[in-house]
Amino acid sequence: MLEGAELYFNVDHGYLEGLVRGCKASLLTQQDYINLVQCETLEDLKIHLQTTDYGNFLANQTNPLTVSKIDTEMRKRLCGEFEYFRNHSLEPLSTFLTYMTCSYMIDNVILLMNGALQKKSVKEILVKCHPLGRFTEMEAVNIAETPSDLFNAILVETPLAPFFQDCMSENALDELNIELLRNKLYKSYLETFYKFCKNHGDVTAEVMCPILEFEADRRAFIITLNSFGTELSKEDRETLYPAFGKLYPEGLRLLAQAEDFDQMKTIADHYEVYKPLFEAIGGNGGKTLEDVFYEREVQMNVLAFNRQFHYGVFYAYVKLKEQEMRNIVWIAECISQRHRTKINSYIPIL
Amino acid sequence: MGSLFRSETMCLAQLFLQSGTAYECLSALGEKGLVQFRDLNQNVSSFQRKFVGEVKRCEELERILVYLVQEINRADIPLPEGEASPPAPPLKQVLEMQEQLQKLEVELKEVTKNKEKLRKNLLELIEYTHMLRVTKTFVKRNVEFEPTYEEFPSLENESLLDYSCMQRLGAKLGFVSGLINQGKVEAFEKMLWRACKGYTIVSYAELDESLEDPETGEVIKWYVFLISFWGEQIGHKVKKICDCYHCHVYPYPNTAEERREIQEGLNTRIQDLYTVLHKTEDYLRQVLCKAAESVYSRVIQVKKMKAIYHMLNMCSFDVTNKCLIAEVWCPEADLQDLRQALEEGSRESGATIPSFMNIIPTKETPPTRIRTNKFTEGFQNIVDAYGVGSYREVNPALFTIITFPFLFAVMFGDFGHGFVMFLFALLLVLNENHPRLNQSQEIMRMFFNGRYILLLMGLFSVYTGLIYNDCFSKSVNLFGSRWNVSAMYSSSHTPTEHKEMVLWNDSVVRHNRILQLDPSIPGVFQGPYPLGIDPIWNLATNRLTFLNSFKMKMSVILGIIHMTFGVILGIFNHLHFKKKFNIYLVSIPELLFMLCIFGYLIFMIFYKWLVFSAETSRVAPSILIEFINMFLFPASKTNGLYTGQEHVQRVLLVVTALSVPVLFLGKPLFLLWLHNGRSCLGVNRRGYTLVRKDSEEEVSLLGNQDVEEGNNRMEDGCRGVTCEEFNFGEILMTQVIHSIEYCLGCISNTASYLRLWALSLAHAQLSDVLWAMLMRVGLRVDTTYGVLLLLPVIALFAVLTIFILLIMEGLSAFLHAIRLHWVEFQNKFYIGAGTKFVPFSFSLLSSKFSNDNSAA
Repeated sequence: MLEGAELYFNVDHGYLEGLVRGCKASLLTQQDYINLVQCETLEDLKIHLQTTDYGNFLANQTNPLTVSKIDTEMRKRLCGEFEYFRNHSLEPLSTFLTYMTCSYMIDNVILLMNGALQKKSVKEILVKCHPLGRFTEMEAVNIAETPSDLFNAILVETPLAPFFQDCMSENALDELNIELLRNKLYKSYLETFYKFCKNHGDVTAEVMCPILEFEADRRAFIITLNSFGTELSKEDRETLYPAFGKLYPEGLRLLAQAEDFDQMKTIADHYEVYKPLFEAIGGNGGKTLEDVFYEREVQMNVLAFNRQFHYGVFYAYVKLKEQEMRNIVWIAECISQRHRTKINSYIPIL
Repeated sequence: MGSLFRSETMCLAQLFLQSGTAYECLSALGEKGLVQFRDLNQNVSSFQRKFVGEVKRCEELERILVYLVQEINRADIPLPEGEASPPAPPLKQVLEMQEQLQKLEVELKEVTKNKEKLRKNLLELIEYTHMLRVTKTFVKRNVEFEPTYEEFPSLENESLLDYSCMQRLGAKLGFVSGLINQGKVEAFEKMLWRACKGYTIVSYAELDESLEDPETGEVIKWYVFLISFWGEQIGHKVKKICDCYHCHVYPYPNTAEERREIQEGLNTRIQDLYTVLHKTEDYLRQVLCKAAESVYSRVIQVKKMKAIYHMLNMCSFDVTNKCLIAEVWCPEADLQDLRQALEEGSRESGATIPSFMNIIPTKETPPTRIRTNKFTEGFQNIVDAYGVGSYREVNPALFTIITFPFLFAVMFGDFGHGFVMFLFALLLVLNENHPRLNQSQEIMRMFFNGRYILLLMGLFSVYTGLIYNDCFSKSVNLFGSRWNVSAMYSSSHTPTEHKEMVLWNDSVVRHNRILQLDPSIPGVFQGPYPLGIDPIWNLATNRLTFLNSFKMKMSVILGIIHMTFGVILGIFNHLHFKKKFNIYLVSIPELLFMLCIFGYLIFMIFYKWLVFSAETSRVAPSILIEFINMFLFPASKTNGLYTGQEHVQRVLLVVTALSVPVLFLGKPLFLLWLHNGRSCLGVNRRGYTLVRKDSEEEVSLLGNQDVEEGNNRMEDGCRGVTCEEFNFGEILMTQVIHSIEYCLGCISNTASYLRLWALSLAHAQLSDVLWAMLMRVGLRVDTTYGVLLLLPVIALFAVLTIFILLIMEGLSAFLHAIRLHWVEFQNKFYIGAGTKFVPFSFSLLSSKFSNDNSAA
């Protein structure tokens, strides 16, 4: 980038940045959550959401309201906003936004392949796909039988194509291989995205790199945790870790050798960032590792808004909105299943 | 006028609404728009309120109505807008209405669903026929192979060399044909190639006509394709890829015969479908037409109903749940109407116990209610844009009606321009009932809303234009100039006078480019022009010097009068709020400060105008120097304006100097004294004396239940007002800041009024330039071509006059006039910290369909 990119930033991206900051201001506040938690039925929830920036997005839904209806409508809204950003964006912001959708696309592809494996119809699974990661070719995913098939026939022209370089294999796509494929794709995706942000330089790099590093480390932890007690070999495990982040390279090597949760925790204790996170597990309210990571992610994303003239706000906004949607869905689930004891364990957005 | 001077007196009333009649009572209140409801359930979230179910029902109805309007619009049926707004539906009818609407919705949904299905079917059939027609050409190309392919399965055992490979695969030739969206063709073909590794033959052709997509309803271009492939495996893949690209796949006929049969069958089916579809559409139209008749009134009714329930949600229940208690702000003048409305509501619902009201005392600040009409509304808006007046405060809008257009006109002084503006405003005023003006877009609407302001601004500009004697920058000689040029000639005077005076003779006139008239020569100046400025100044080279001096003094005089008036209005506020000490300790020192300095300046200006004549003008002292000397006490004495001037000025200065400490310290010290000595007295209660002693007695007359309620309310009322703690430091600080602001403001604000002069000068000069650059050029051309040239010149002149002088200059003068009011005038007395009275009124609900349409 040129020197003094701040000077020209607003020419191309000022409008969108303003917009996204406005959108961020419309996130639900603590007071909103307190009110939502008090709701007795989903109808109450709907009425309360109407008083927020969600407006009457559920107005045209016929009764009875279900959690999945709320979820789809919220996703649709987010998708609409994102499409608007994307349609009005200029390079390199548009590439950045494309990178953002890639993770959803990977998820969708994996979801569809899993569905094909379980002999479910494509239509049924399409509904579950995240609208942000939708692309035309994805419906044909179940034609493929091997990863290289998948690449050659279907995904070669999509933005996902570059991530396939590491995972071209002729193995049949069974459940484990799909999972491996997902992780390899993710690894490759995160690395490319990281490189893109790093090369972009400026504030964007300063903001996005820590977020992506955290994301990589989180993946490493989660992969390790999930691989305990499976047939995945330690060498294979190591190949799945994204090759950057705070843990890279020593931490990852240690993680690859870890055999249970306690060993993982000792490794995390070496890092001042992750030590407090692992200590918070099981604390007040029985938090899981996932919750702790989510909280940390929210924190980082909120901080992204403190800087100006960078693309990280778009990433942060979408992630925050996603968290908010997860919160609402959680609360809605608790309400509809009359399981109110856990209703307060949503992740507050600061 | 009284109602515009101060906002109306308000009282807090409690409405006891029997739960059976509450709805009708509120409906009656809403029609009249008398009262503002207070939210008594502020800490209850919206979904926990009492009438949330009813609100939900209203929303459901709204949803149905939106759907109806959407369908009606789609069918292009005009929506009649009723003139009168129907009252909120009686409760008995609501259920009926809901049932009706729901039935209608179900019916409509079913019919439209059927229609859609039929249409989709029809479209598919049409697509199929198109496909058959187009693929015929593909087949012709293949026709020579066709028999071989078809017989292929049966020929399995025969060894046909040509097809041995196929035989080995045990495959069968298959066809998939269908239609695909134009934009996807390329990607589709590529994907096919990649996925099937080239074992397919794709041929496609563009369809010449655009067809509607059965799913989205878009009209797009389509391609017809035919894929031939070998083998089951690939067939599956091909089908999946077709699904992926949302192709419309139709069975491909194997023989020409089959094709013909299908085609015939299709044709008859299409015919049938057409008739059925037509009938369905007719029926749908009938249903919609019937619905369209009542939909407008329904929309309004539901809106009113929803509004009523929202208001009811603000009420609290009494202990027995038998009646609702609402708290409302109501202007005292409207109490009678309020009672009447309650009675009406009770009567309508046929309740045995009437709903009634009860005035309760409060210390809270009521909202500000100023009744306006269409004339005063615009002026009130100017004031409200600065800040809604505090309760019962002097409302500057009343004076703004005259001062605003006047100050504007001082800056915009031109007879011609003012007249054009006046005519424009008059046009708006005369056509104010025209519906197109009411619904015009933003800019026009702005003019329309300010039409009465514009009218007065135009009128006043005509007046100031006459005073300045400016009409499109030219002077008008209405009464004949009072300057006589011939009197300057030596021939008209006696020889004795020749010696003392500089007179003109032929050589002087011939050799000088500039001649000076001397008013001291008898006969040259015959007294002032009857109205405004003498037109002869239009010819003078020192016109600007003369006008500048005049306009500058005028702006200072107007400004000081304006500001002094503001301070005097402050006295009315203090009188009304029973804070007499403020008059002695704040207003009078302020007045003294202002008048002793700037009042004296005005005096000097007038004195100089009146005392010094043309003969003595050479010895007249400069006001500026005199004014500066008033503060500097110079060693060298000037001769001064009048005898004893020095002493007068000393006295004035002393008064000014004395008023400053009073202004700074008077009020805080007095309040401190009050607090220490007589803090129990009610004099120092700032704000409002609202407590009506008799209303407490009224409370005691009520039944036990109600008294309890009343007491509760009174406690609430007391809770609402935070006890004012006496904080001397804070009061001193505020007063000091206020005083500094005032003293410095007196100087800077006076200077600020010079904008009157500056803008009026700018306006006059700009119009002068326009005249000189355009009209003078146009008029100079000789007569034969001049007429031809003059036409475009006049047109250009008119356009520039309107855009630059009227709109642009008008806007800037308007803004400066607003500033002079908001800053210089209103900060002398106006607090503007009130809240506007927003009555619960159905007329504030938007009764337009356009909203629904945009929402739909």
